[in-house]
Amino acid sequence: MEPLIEARSLGKVFPMGGGPVHALRDISVQIAAGEYLTIRGPSGCGKSTLLHILGCVDTPSSGTLRFDGRDVSALPDHARSDLRLRSIGFVFQRFFLLPMLTAAENVDVPQAEAGVSRADRKRRTAELLDYVGLGHRAGHRPSQLSGGEAQRVAIARALANRPRLLLADEPTGELDRANGEHIAELLDRVQADGTTVVVVTHDAALAERAARRLVMRDGLIEREEHAR
Amino acid sequence: MRALIFAVRSLVRQPGRTALGIIGIAAVGALLFDMLLLSRGLVVSFRDLLDSVGFDVRVTATDSPLPGGIRLTDATGAAAQIARLPGVAEAVPMRTATGEVWQTGRPVIGLTLTGMDPGARRPWTLITGADLGPSLAPPELVVNQSLMDEVGGAIGSEVTLRTGCDSSRAALAPRTFRIVGIAQFPFDDEAQHTAVMTRTALREACGDDKDEADMLMVASSGGAGAAVAAIRAARPDLVPVTNEQIVARMQTQGFTYFRQISAVLSTITLLFGFLLITVLLTVSVNQRLAEIAALRALGFSRGRAAADVLLQGAMLVGAGGILALPLGFALSLWLDQILKAMPGIPASMHFFVFEPRALVLHAALLVTTALLASAYPMWLVARLPIATTLRNEVVG
Repeated sequence: MEPLIEARSLGKVFPMGGGPVHALRDISVQIAAGEYLTIRGPSGCGKSTLLHILGCVDTPSSGTLRFDGRDVSALPDHARSDLRLRSIGFVFQRFFLLPMLTAAENVDVPQAEAGVSRADRKRRTAELLDYVGLGHRAGHRPSQLSGGEAQRVAIARALANRPRLLLADEPTGELDRANGEHIAELLDRVQADGTTVVVVTHDAALAERAARRLVMRDGLIEREEHAR
Repeated sequence: MRALIFAVRSLVRQPGRTALGIIGIAAVGALLFDMLLLSRGLVVSFRDLLDSVGFDVRVTATDSPLPGGIRLTDATGAAAQIARLPGVAEAVPMRTATGEVWQTGRPVIGLTLTGMDPGARRPWTLITGADLGPSLAPPELVVNQSLMDEVGGAIGSEVTLRTGCDSSRAALAPRTFRIVGIAQFPFDDEAQHTAVMTRTALREACGDDKDEADMLMVASSGGAGAAVAAIRAARPDLVPVTNEQIVARMQTQGFTYFRQISAVLSTITLLFGFLLITVLLTVSVNQRLAEIAALRALGFSRGRAAADVLLQGAMLVGAGGILALPLGFALSLWLDQILKAMPGIPASMHFFVFEPRALVLHAALLVTTALLASAYPMWLVARLPIATTLRNEVVG
């Protein structure tokens, strides 16, 4: 079966004042459709950079990236935007919900951007808020939600356009243990329902939930672990 | 969610800043609107004033269209000859002089005198009483309200008037005139004293037997241009000019200061508007960098994110620009009153005159300013490095 994501010899160099910084060095990884992969490692090891390149928000300095068989490493900006909109969902550590919109409106935004009809958006938004257990909070603004609830809305938003790949960067980083556990369970469910999930985390407990785990150090994949 | 609603919500999110921005743009827009009204106000007002007199061509002996220069000789004959020309409906000689009203035990009242032959058209509007008649025993006067108030008499009362016809001549003996009516004279300022009598009466008051006039007031019947051409052909020794030509001359000479002042102040006003909008939008964008980067990560294109900034700029300017109109109107009325208080300005002239083109220009300038002012914050958004911004936000 062809992998959903195939990265070959990815490198990323940031030009800095004190000389270039090699954030990624010769990273090759394949991720199958429906897989659950976590990436962990110490701060500055390049895991977020790898996630950004896999999610097409950044481009590699070297190497190639294929998404669903298509080379996306050198796509123009508008094509990468369209790919992210329709095929990739992002969950951020700090949620980044739009504070002037309600939970339902936040979930509505990417669908409207993708041109989904109003009726379909309404149906999908209600379905997603129920899915994350926040159907009763649809009309609340982010400031009226707890951190755990806000992150669940952010996951609903990331799933709005039925992406094939969900990327989460430290999704439990701002949450207490109980809320982190809820988010971890939700990500399990998303993966179980068929979406490929890639999570970058410091949280060992969260990382352990994935069937496949990459451990990074100094821009390299130090080792790969598999659940028993 | 439509882009417009999205932009509105983004603005409403900071109500204080948005309100201050709109008020600032309204103030800038009001000043801009006033400068646009001022740029052509005097020209439009002066043209309206000339047209309101009922004559559209003036014929003089020299190229000065204003009374007080070299006079036309044989004015009656010249008027009759011009009145017979094709395209001319009427030609009326007009002579001007100064005068003083003498009243026992009271200060002398200075006034402007006009002598005009009776005709179908007259450049004054009778308010009360009768218009000039041929009576010379005593000769009749129509005065403006200001003079009537100063004299303190009533219609039918007699006044003693000394005329000043030529500065080179000795003072003339005062004569008695009877006030038969009160009229409004279009070129009067608020405090001016004006009276009109027949040209025959003025000649007698001046004590001369010359048939002279400062100008012939001509009403065309087929357009001022055709009348001027006919007069030039018949009387090459005279100088006929249309109202439009007088206005054009004033536009390039007398009123040019106002146009220059208006241009300078409009430019400065627009610059302030540009800076205000740029600062507002740039501050707003800088506060939302991480949020914009997140939206970009979720699939918003560069164009869509930049268009959001442009829409916000357009809405700020739109709301401020609409508020600027009533504010500008009110301000123009106030400024007009101040400027009209200058001596020698006809009461019916205005410095700030509304024209539809001013409204169109106002809107066009504000739209252009909004576009230019949005360019930098739009560029910031379009060039925003998504990954770096998200990383900096987490590190920060």
